[in-house]
Amino acid sequence: MIPMLQAKDLTKSFGSHTALHSLNLEVKPGEIFCLLGANGAGKTTTINLFLNFIEPSGGQAFINGQDVVTHPLETKKHIAYIPEQVSLYRNLTGYENLEYFATLANGAAVEKSLLISYLRSVDLPSGAEDRKVSTYSKGMRQKIVIAIAMAKQAKALLLDEPTSGLDPKASNEFSQLIRKMAGQGTAVLMATHDLFRAKEDGSRIGIMRQGKLRQVLNTDEFGHADLERIYLEHMHD
Amino acid sequence: MILHIARKEMLEMRRDGRFQIASAIVLTLLCVSLAIGWQQYMAISRQHELARAETRNQWLTQGQKNPHSAAHYGVYAFKPRSPLSLVDRGADNYTGVAVWLEAHKQNEFKYKPARDANTLARFGDLTASSVMQLLIPLLIILMSFSAFAGEREQGTLRLLLSMGVAKDKLALGKALGVAGGLGVLLVPAALIGSAALILASETGSFAANLPRLSWMATSYVMYFAAFIGISLAVSAVAKSARLALVCLLGFWIFNGLAAPRLFSDLSRAVYRTPSSFAFSQRMEAELKTGFDEVEFKKSVLARYKVSKLEDLPLNYAGLSLKAGEDHGNEVFDKLYAELWDIFEAQNRLQQQGGIVAPLMAIRSVSMGLSGTDFAQFRDFSVTAEKYRRAFIDVMNTDIANAPKTEAPHLGDKNLWAKVPAFEYTSPSVGTVLSQQAWSLGLLSIWALAASIAAGWAATQRLKAE
Repeated sequence: MIPMLQAKDLTKSFGSHTALHSLNLEVKPGEIFCLLGANGAGKTTTINLFLNFIEPSGGQAFINGQDVVTHPLETKKHIAYIPEQVSLYRNLTGYENLEYFATLANGAAVEKSLLISYLRSVDLPSGAEDRKVSTYSKGMRQKIVIAIAMAKQAKALLLDEPTSGLDPKASNEFSQLIRKMAGQGTAVLMATHDLFRAKEDGSRIGIMRQGKLRQVLNTDEFGHADLERIYLEHMHD
Repeated sequence: MILHIARKEMLEMRRDGRFQIASAIVLTLLCVSLAIGWQQYMAISRQHELARAETRNQWLTQGQKNPHSAAHYGVYAFKPRSPLSLVDRGADNYTGVAVWLEAHKQNEFKYKPARDANTLARFGDLTASSVMQLLIPLLIILMSFSAFAGEREQGTLRLLLSMGVAKDKLALGKALGVAGGLGVLLVPAALIGSAALILASETGSFAANLPRLSWMATSYVMYFAAFIGISLAVSAVAKSARLALVCLLGFWIFNGLAAPRLFSDLSRAVYRTPSSFAFSQRMEAELKTGFDEVEFKKSVLARYKVSKLEDLPLNYAGLSLKAGEDHGNEVFDKLYAELWDIFEAQNRLQQQGGIVAPLMAIRSVSMGLSGTDFAQFRDFSVTAEKYRRAFIDVMNTDIANAPKTEAPHLGDKNLWAKVPAFEYTSPSVGTVLSQQAWSLGLLSIWALAASIAAGWAATQRLKAE
């Protein structure tokens, strides 16, 4: 099985500062890979490189086997991105936002009933889709973005600190949705500093520090306490 | 896809209170200016029509008198106004639209509203053209400065670009969105304007004005397209929406306020016009010299091989008047051509301003198509002057050929009727277009370059970060 997401010696420097140092990783369909690390560890840089929002200084990033730099538009067909600050058009309703992005993603209009069914499956409160997004909480905006990902039928999800700023219930709902999508074969790359969420959701965890991927762990081989200890060891040396 | 983007842009605009207020103001101003233009056009063309009939009637019914007195009595000629002048009054307020044609003199034009206006007039007339040349670009800037920069600040740009939308399509969609928003405003205004034009036109003449009207519409569309392109390009490149707005407003001020002032001052500095007083002094001096009555008398006697004026086969008075006219005409031709060439040189220099400010180009085109620019004023003046010479010549020929009797020679209505009524047809649209070729060319370059700049900025410079 070819990896959905792949980084080969992926490097990014900003001037003399190396934000990402020769990263190698693979995320297969159905797998949830959590990038764990403090601020500045290179997690967001990795996601930005996969999105081709920034140019790599060295190495390559592949989505579905295609280089993101040489195939900027084709590679984006397969991915859905959920940023830390989920921003939508404030003056449009949730449904209008979903419809806009879904149409852009698919290159053609998506049936309304289908879009509504996505909104139901992300558990957006009934009736909320016709309210302006400016009245939404972060959790609700995130649900819209997940519905967009569903409408896009994305094969890979790129999540940047998705649970920061969510209350525990919303955070839990979010995790369930992500796991459901992974269960359906979506590859997920999630940047987080939430150890608990990483252990709960992740199939594998990559610990990052100062632009380097220090260790990759299979979550089912370690308990919460082990994970915290290993993580802290990496942060201290 | 592109239409989908455009539709969303328009939906956002429609929900934005600021846009609603701004466009309501602009639409109101546009309609008011059209109404004022229409009312003025109707009033003035009615006055012209009456005055034309009156001056002709006075001429024909002036009773018996010496033909030279009749030549002094003179007639008025009125520059016909195109119905399109209700959109753009152009230079008419300064050049005047009526001239008195009489013996011996090529008069200056009369009815110059600018002469009676107070300093408030310096702010410009409220005409549809000034609204379209100044306020619509401002509205375009307000509609599009945040197109990219705002989305980047809001954070929606990252999500948008992650969808895999081609940036050129995105830019085109946004441009169409602004154009659509503008269309919502301009289409009703254009309908009102066309209705006003149809009402203002005599039967059949609306169709005759259609080529001018469609060229005018095309020119304004190019002008607006240039602003949409510039605004989107700046929005894609600028670090923040605020910075984009500041840059665009700076350009707007330069284009609409600074450049016209700059180029009019520059053109006056480079091509100096004599003062009105100096001009008439020189005219008087030149008219006095160069024509020697004694010499002329000798040459006439020699030409007809007679020794006394009484032996001439013609009346000497008529010959002398003709010769005097001929001399005057030479002077007029020389001096007016000099003066008008200066004006035209000034105009040409101002049209060069279109290179840096598209307003200078659209202003020239708009005036030209409305028939209110200097070139068409000059064309009318030349035609009126030709008519004056022809009709004075009819009078002088009559005097020269009058039977030699003791009784004073009088002209009557048969003589007056020999002078046809003054008719003037405005230059064809082809003539106007060739006069405006430079400005039209600049306008299309602006529209094209701005579109390319927007496409380039969106595809090469638009960053999610």
